[in-house]
Amino acid sequence: MNRKVLIVGALIVTPLLIFLALSFGKDPRAIDSPLVGRTAPDFALRGLDGEMVRLADLRGKPVVINFWATWCQPCIAEHPVLQAGAKQYEGSVEFLGVIYQDEPEKIQAFIDRRGAWGPSLVDDAGTVAIAYGVYGAPETFFIDRNGVIVRKATGALHPNELASLLNGMLQSG
Amino acid sequence: MRSIYLTLVVVVLSLAALMPAAGQEAPLGAANWDLVGQPDGPPISGTELDLITEEVAGIMRCPVCQGLSIADSPTALAIAMKAEVKEMLSKGYSESQVLDYFEQSYGEFIRLEPKARGFNLFVWLAPLAVLLGGLLFLAMRMKKPVVAELEPTATSSSTESELDTYRERVRREVAS
Repeated sequence: MNRKVLIVGALIVTPLLIFLALSFGKDPRAIDSPLVGRTAPDFALRGLDGEMVRLADLRGKPVVINFWATWCQPCIAEHPVLQAGAKQYEGSVEFLGVIYQDEPEKIQAFIDRRGAWGPSLVDDAGTVAIAYGVYGAPETFFIDRNGVIVRKATGALHPNELASLLNGMLQSG
Repeated sequence: MRSIYLTLVVVVLSLAALMPAAGQEAPLGAANWDLVGQPDGPPISGTELDLITEEVAGIMRCPVCQGLSIADSPTALAIAMKAEVKEMLSKGYSESQVLDYFEQSYGEFIRLEPKARGFNLFVWLAPLAVLLGGLLFLAMRMKKPVVAELEPTATSSSTESELDTYRERVRREVAS
């Protein structure tokens, strides 16, 4: 075969192979967030019970913020995972739910049936979801004691994934 | 009478002092616009605000759509984003401040047109480089005379010596 053809072919194929090899190592569900490693955007939202929750007031404890809705099937699937997590880490980790494009009445009815795992905060204008760069539900943000986002999880959480992330945050001090 | 006035002043001052605390109680969503500093310009409203909102929303990508701007998308997220863009612009934030703010949450993906810097320059310069390369190639091909391709190529010294040997052999065979 012509040597020139081989060289040109190698120059075209090699970068493509490198690109593919690098992509294979990534989680296809994951959506990169520029917020990871940065201070979590602060907010103050009222819960369904009428109580105001301000993120900055929770500084000193790891916080899990989950954007969810009743129309979202993966959110329903991960509900028991978050319930178990909130129970297991009660007192050491704060769990906050932010209602994403849903009606508070529907959320309340759902909670009445299945129970809650933390306050469900009403984000009427969607400004908190936008500040967190949310694409869809469910998305979960893990915030360390210093208020820095350490991880963003897209899709329904697995119990092992939740435990591993929370243990990591608790151990890192 | 004087004591009544004094009491009134004290009450008014106390209420004024309580105002910020009351303000903190109001839901503030995500009050993070100050991440991009103070508004560059004065507040705007009316038709001017509507026009500039459409303009800015038109260059912002809807995160849940295929190549649509938030101005064109009917999704709830795009509508919420456009409302926030309008709110920011009404306070006097400039187009670049609004884009910078949204970029902090969604990354450069939010811009329908990427910034011409770093690796993105490749997107802008590659077509130009290919065009220039093609023109250069054509120019070189056109400059080269066609006859040149028909001229015999120079023979190497080894071929020449082989020919000499062959000629000598022919000469000897003819002579014999």
